[in-house]
Amino acid sequence: MNKNIKITTALSAAASALLGVDASLAQETQAIGTWDFKMAALYYTEPDRVDAIEPAISARRQIDTDESLTLKLTLDSLTGASASGAVPSSDVQTYTRPSGSGSYTIGANETPLDDTFLDTRVALNANWERPLGRLLTMNLGANISKEYDYTSLGVNALLSRDFNKRNTTVTAGISAAFDDIDPEGGVPVAFGVMRPAEEEQPRAGSSDDKTTADFLMGVTQVIDANSLFQLNYSFSQADGYQTDPYKVLSVIDASTGSLIIEDAAIGLPRVVAENRPDERTKHGLYGQYKRNIGGDVLDLSYRFMTDDWGIDSHTVDVKYRWDLGSGYLQPHIRYYQQSAADFYRGFLLDGQTPVAGDISSFASADYRLGDFTGVTTGLEYGRKGSQPWSIAIEYYLQSGDEPDGKFGALNDQELYPDVDALMFRIIYDI
Amino acid sequence: MQPIELAATQYGHRATFSAMANPCELLVETDDAALARHLGEIVAAEAWRIEQKFSRYRDDSVIAAIQHTTAGNGYEVDSETASLLNFAGSVFTISNGLFDITSGVLRKIWKFDRSTNIPTRKQAKALLPLIGWDKVEWQEPFIRLRPGMELDFGGFGKEYAVDRALQLAEAVSGTPMLVNFGGDMRANRAPTMRDSWDVGIESVSNSLPAGVVHFRAEALVSSGDSRNYLEKNGVRYPHILNPHTAWPVMGAPHAVTVLGPTCIEAGFIATLALLKGRAAESFLASQGFQHHVQR
Repeated sequence: MNKNIKITTALSAAASALLGVDASLAQETQAIGTWDFKMAALYYTEPDRVDAIEPAISARRQIDTDESLTLKLTLDSLTGASASGAVPSSDVQTYTRPSGSGSYTIGANETPLDDTFLDTRVALNANWERPLGRLLTMNLGANISKEYDYTSLGVNALLSRDFNKRNTTVTAGISAAFDDIDPEGGVPVAFGVMRPAEEEQPRAGSSDDKTTADFLMGVTQVIDANSLFQLNYSFSQADGYQTDPYKVLSVIDASTGSLIIEDAAIGLPRVVAENRPDERTKHGLYGQYKRNIGGDVLDLSYRFMTDDWGIDSHTVDVKYRWDLGSGYLQPHIRYYQQSAADFYRGFLLDGQTPVAGDISSFASADYRLGDFTGVTTGLEYGRKGSQPWSIAIEYYLQSGDEPDGKFGALNDQELYPDVDALMFRIIYDI
Repeated sequence: MQPIELAATQYGHRATFSAMANPCELLVETDDAALARHLGEIVAAEAWRIEQKFSRYRDDSVIAAIQHTTAGNGYEVDSETASLLNFAGSVFTISNGLFDITSGVLRKIWKFDRSTNIPTRKQAKALLPLIGWDKVEWQEPFIRLRPGMELDFGGFGKEYAVDRALQLAEAVSGTPMLVNFGGDMRANRAPTMRDSWDVGIESVSNSLPAGVVHFRAEALVSSGDSRNYLEKNGVRYPHILNPHTAWPVMGAPHAVTVLGPTCIEAGFIATLALLKGRAAESFLASQGFQHHVQR
């Protein structure tokens, strides 16, 4: 026997025959014993704006030592108000609710928030991980989520292959999502002017849709016994309706900087529905470095994203998991900075506003598309053991640049007020 | 019953006991001391049960009964013993007769006590008729040995015990745990409190660790002659014996560590690598299991 014939298959069969003596019995017991349930609750608040409660339950079944199925059910309950995109004014303003029936009033010098914002979302995720060989792992997932005005269906597949004595892992994945948007009151006509409540609003139909395809490629490299580095590239292509149907832009008098009044009797300023391109291509680069320092874990990451809407963003994230024996304490800091989308405007000028239905012009005053910096600071405490749990508190502060071209009466207003949010999260193993 | 010791650790609990002439332990990621003790007792009970049933030192073991029943059809074994004998037959075939549970008889002349008592070639050859699984009459459930032959499950008994003990413990709890019987170990899953189970590999030459192996949900077995060997005139005779020659495998590595899906598989690959002598590395490379060789 000079040649080294690979004998592991025959050996594996012999080992299974030996150890499988009680396999049927053992698997029965295991099936019951190895569903692992976790409960999580998240409370999120933007003072004076949004409150959200998000309970979630996840169940993970260990099918085999390296095969598992994870199911997660999430319920989001959002209440509060969201910035509509209109500018504040020294006068009281009245706006029609998205449904077209009823209106709400914004006080002088206050940021217009649509206070009817309330939604409940139910989401179900399933993920199946199984080996396709000794070094190859497959991950298949599906998700569905439903809000009263939004339905999303997604599927994803990920393959990971270990190389170099498992010190290198190469990952490739694809995913697809199909979204249906069914806005309250219908899909607004691009740049359609808001009409007083109970009048017919400019609507382009009742619903629209969007498809998104994502591609990811990455490599994880174990550097030494205590550290590893990960590098990912991601590509995303979205086609379809990407406009926010509830966001508007104020139309401003080009000489005074004041609001144009659409309906003086009720104090309704002229605002038009926003419009965004129906294609968006994103590229992302992500690097992560993790290091074990005597039981503590340092986790550093950086992400760069760029898209053809003109938004470039940089995220730096630092976590330090301080081991306390039976528990851990983890401070967290994240710094995020993005440039504005090419079509981001604080407002539109009268005379230069695209006409209603002009879908080839783009404008949005959504603060999430503006120039801004967001800083998150947080602290997490966790307990280890057979029933681990953790609590975390995080504070987020977003400060944006004022949009370009403020003049006249607009100079007295803050178009991009700071937004802050507080988040409280608890995770418990049941 | 012998006691097991329980201690809290940074990541949960550690149950320790002694079995098969080795220190044994169960590491379990739980704060629940009662659960850890319960799992430790299951693991220890299985180790002691297997030790007692298959020991070649005990008169009441299955091994003793088989060796004493050489008349008629031979001895009728239970289903667990039959499984082990079938496994022994499979690995005998897979290894082209190098891995042989009848080679234990060689201990009569090879006593690896680090002494200079090297048997003669003649003494060794005289034992060859008593060696060879192909000389055993095995018609499940009956086994009959030729008079003077011996059986020894020591080549995989400890590995089998680790695999069995982990299976039993896992049936009770899916919490991450690692069973370690004297360096043969297996984990049911990756730990959640850290990235991997980290195991130091003992160095054969000095007290410094030869390396740290990180593993998640796998088995790890080390095999070698770091403690058991003979030495005469500067020649080291490792305790790895070739059943075809009744002589130690000269040129075998000092130690081989192999990671595999089960202890029984990793252990077999490690032992066979030692039996391959100078070809240990090329054999290991062709099998695709992660391994570590010390020369």
